[in-house]
Amino acid sequence: MTIADSIALILLLAGCAFYLAGTIGLLRFPDVYCRLHALAKADNTGLCLICVGLAILSADWQVAAILALVWLVGLLAATVSAHLIARHAHSAGRVPARSGPSRR
Amino acid sequence: MIGLALDLLIIVSLIGLAIQSINAASLFRGILHFVVLGLAMSLAWARLDAPDLAMAEAAIGAGVTGALMMIAYRRLIEIQPDQESSLRPPPSRLAVPIALAAGALVGVIGLAAIQAEPMPALAGTAVLENLGSTGLGNPITGVLLLFRGFDTLLEITVLLAALLSAQAVTRQVDLDQSLTTQDPDTPLVGALLAIVVPLTVLVSVHLLKAGGQETGGAFQAGAVLAACGVLLVLTGRLGASRQYSPLVNTGLLVGLLSFILIGLAPLLWGQPLLALPGLWAIYWIESAMMISIALTLVLLFAGAGSLKRRDHG
Repeated sequence: MTIADSIALILLLAGCAFYLAGTIGLLRFPDVYCRLHALAKADNTGLCLICVGLAILSADWQVAAILALVWLVGLLAATVSAHLIARHAHSAGRVPARSGPSRR
Repeated sequence: MIGLALDLLIIVSLIGLAIQSINAASLFRGILHFVVLGLAMSLAWARLDAPDLAMAEAAIGAGVTGALMMIAYRRLIEIQPDQESSLRPPPSRLAVPIALAAGALVGVIGLAAIQAEPMPALAGTAVLENLGSTGLGNPITGVLLLFRGFDTLLEITVLLAALLSAQAVTRQVDLDQSLTTQDPDTPLVGALLAIVVPLTVLVSVHLLKAGGQETGGAFQAGAVLAACGVLLVLTGRLGASRQYSPLVNTGLLVGLLSFILIGLAPLLWGQPLLALPGLWAIYWIESAMMISIALTLVLLFAGAGSLKRRDHG
């Protein structure tokens, strides 16, 4: 296993960890805003890490450029859809959940 | 080893998702599971080295069909609001025996297929042997348009018939209700469209052009273009219309008509029916079919006979 392969492996595993964290957040967080936060942040970081890992594995500039485009389009779609869902929830009167004693 | 684990994972999730999509607690959950089932199915096709089918399954099976089911669900709860919360009625007592019998049938056929002596696939080798003379590089496109062109002609006709039947049962009242609940001037949406719409058109034209030599083709390209149209309808840029525009009607018919006319033409000089006269004919029919497929799918989604442009300040 070359150094490039090991770096790629570490990046792929780190990407999977971010996806896992985002999914746990989606399942466990109390309200729609927190869940969106978990998804939009963690999954896009995971996607970025996995794309970089795959680009290193492919060792081809053309593939790397396509993977970069994949990440950018994914970012764009995730940003706008998370924004639209949050906006809809807000206008439907969903109040963000507060856990524990409320701060005064 | 990793490949086997991946295959087993796909098989288990396919079965689980299939059970969930027919047995979910509510209709909405069932639809969501069905969409995810389509995604898992496209992974399965990709693992079976069938990228054309994987792409078609992801675009049509998971994408456009999911959008159609969602919109049908929304119309359903507008008509019968109690459907939203009501649980499914308990399944019939026959369900379990029928499911077991169907499973046993699939198992028996599968076992027989595994044990049977593998026959040389005559049709496949014939296609690969004759592909060189056509100028096409993609055997799938060769089968769809040259070797089994009649099937594709019928598929396009079925798609048009589906749209006409959907129009026949769409009520006038439904058309007047707008599909969009979002304010069309929502921030970010315009910027998203400005980037995504040109990219989608680019991807679909690439798929169309690539279809001659590698993975791609009219159905995948049409589905991607239809996704773009669905996005425009959802964001309020395109609206349902009852006034039939000549442009939309031409777009709907151009695929079927080109296929029929170019397919009939060889009869004039004594060639058999559907003996396409060259590569240009294939690309022409594929492009025309892409437009017709995309337009038909968008009109099915909009539940309308035609579309009109909506202007926003």
